[in-house]
Amino acid sequence: MATAEGGHPPGRARSRRLRAGLATPTLLGLPVVWLVLFFVVPIAIVAAYSVNLYSLEPGPHEFTTAAWHDFLHSSVYLRLFWKSVRMSLTVSVIIVLLAYPLAYYLALSGTKRKYVLLLLLIAPFLTSYLLRVLAWKVILGNDGVINSFLYWTGLRSPDHPLSQLLYSRFAVMLVLGYIWLPFVALPIFVSLESLDRRLLEAACDLGASRRQAFLRVTLPLSLPGVAAAFLFVFIPTLGEFVTPSLVGGASGYMYGNQIVDLFGTGFPDWATGSVLAMFLLVVVTVLTLVFSRFLRAGEPASG
Amino acid sequence: MDVALSKRGGRLLRTFFALVVLFLYAPIVILLIFSFNKSAIPSFPLAGFTLHWYREFLGNSELKDALQTSAIVAAISSTCAVALGVLAALALTRRRFHGKSAVSALLLSPLVIPYVVFGISLLLLFHTVGVSRSLLTVVIGHIVISLPYTILVLVPRLDQVDVSLEEAAYDLGAGPVGTFRLITFPLILPAVVSAFLIAFTTSFDEYAVASFVVGPRLTFPIYLYSALRFPSQLPQVIAVAVVVLVLSLLVVIAAELGRRVVERRLESPTGRID
Repeated sequence: MATAEGGHPPGRARSRRLRAGLATPTLLGLPVVWLVLFFVVPIAIVAAYSVNLYSLEPGPHEFTTAAWHDFLHSSVYLRLFWKSVRMSLTVSVIIVLLAYPLAYYLALSGTKRKYVLLLLLIAPFLTSYLLRVLAWKVILGNDGVINSFLYWTGLRSPDHPLSQLLYSRFAVMLVLGYIWLPFVALPIFVSLESLDRRLLEAACDLGASRRQAFLRVTLPLSLPGVAAAFLFVFIPTLGEFVTPSLVGGASGYMYGNQIVDLFGTGFPDWATGSVLAMFLLVVVTVLTLVFSRFLRAGEPASG
Repeated sequence: MDVALSKRGGRLLRTFFALVVLFLYAPIVILLIFSFNKSAIPSFPLAGFTLHWYREFLGNSELKDALQTSAIVAAISSTCAVALGVLAALALTRRRFHGKSAVSALLLSPLVIPYVVFGISLLLLFHTVGVSRSLLTVVIGHIVISLPYTILVLVPRLDQVDVSLEEAAYDLGAGPVGTFRLITFPLILPAVVSAFLIAFTTSFDEYAVASFVVGPRLTFPIYLYSALRFPSQLPQVIAVAVVVLVLSLLVVIAAELGRRVVERRLESPTGRID
């Protein structure tokens, strides 16, 4: 049945359900209508635009996959897509690897102030995104904090600044990593926190070393959290356009920037832009479905 | 022995944690330092202490307009998102219906859409139906992206509320609205406040979607982005940045601590033992 909920034992699920109250359509009507009107329909329009079923340009238009065909055979757009995939994959893997020990420390070291420390870690993520990018712009620029510090201390002459700091692929990846690192620790922390410590004690009693207990108990049981963390950072960074436009320059230009430019004021090409957008959406949706299956498969083990 | 961590490993991890926290807060601290710096270019050596940039930003009416606009947009969109979120969360936790997993997938799907895709989708929609871009169009977009966050905060709290309290209210003759107002709402109030704060900060800080659908009145992030292109504006933008960053850090921490205290207090009288 589609109504079955994952996770809850059936008895508990039933006791949580109220026998009286507002009817389901009354409750769901507004939220669902809102999302259909302002989320589903807009995406459908982009999809229609990408196959020329709809266009803002006057004249007859009929179904054609020409724009899709051009896209799939264009080395420019696909190369840019792979470049973006490589960039956000690198960022995601590195910060998941960095976040794991942080989450491990909070969940399993037995520290008394674990929620205070968790809040300390997460808080920067909840502040302004744009302003954190701004901070790095100030730090990395040719006359920025790092370079001017180097000139001032005489470690480097002003004629030879570290010019690759800002407006580079490196800058984009550093800033994206900086922005998403606190957030990535959260799902890993949750999965480690819900880990039954008796399993570790049992492994130990059966002669496992700490290392073995980690590799064969802790790590496998925390993989759903790791997968969720990876997905939570990979998806938004793949479609990113704000950070690259502020600190990326030409070499940090990403797929998302291309979409924006195709809808921009210079040489707009909304049909091609719609294809690029729909392609990104398809990739992201497939990834989400694959990962959510993996996450669900991990659920009974951790419960 | 501790099975998770050796003494040495614990020390190592603590040092690593401290270093990462340092890395996370260093840029904010650097902004703080340079916001008081006399020079118009944020670089070493420091030129001396001044409050000039703070004064300048307090006199910048465009900037204050943008802050006010964002506050209005955030207040409206987060109120609507929380209202829709409460309705949806009630249906998901209290009702049984066909296609529940499909509906919850729809309700949460704005979480995973790349904002650039959603932004151009809204732009095309408003073009198609002939609605000109304004604050209203920004509000509409922000409600969509905050709605799933409110649901994610509200559902676990509704799951914790003992349904027999609501059933008792029904048995004693309270209607569905009365039961919600007198029983359910007070019990989930801490989560409603968290949901509101999350939706508010999401909207207040949102640039990507707004950049496609914003009208002639600029929101704060849009103003900020355009100001970043003019180096002469940088020092006062840094001063604003410091004010906003420090304020939002304080609000986040206060809200989280407050929620913990209130929820602990709400837990006790029901006397539930897990």
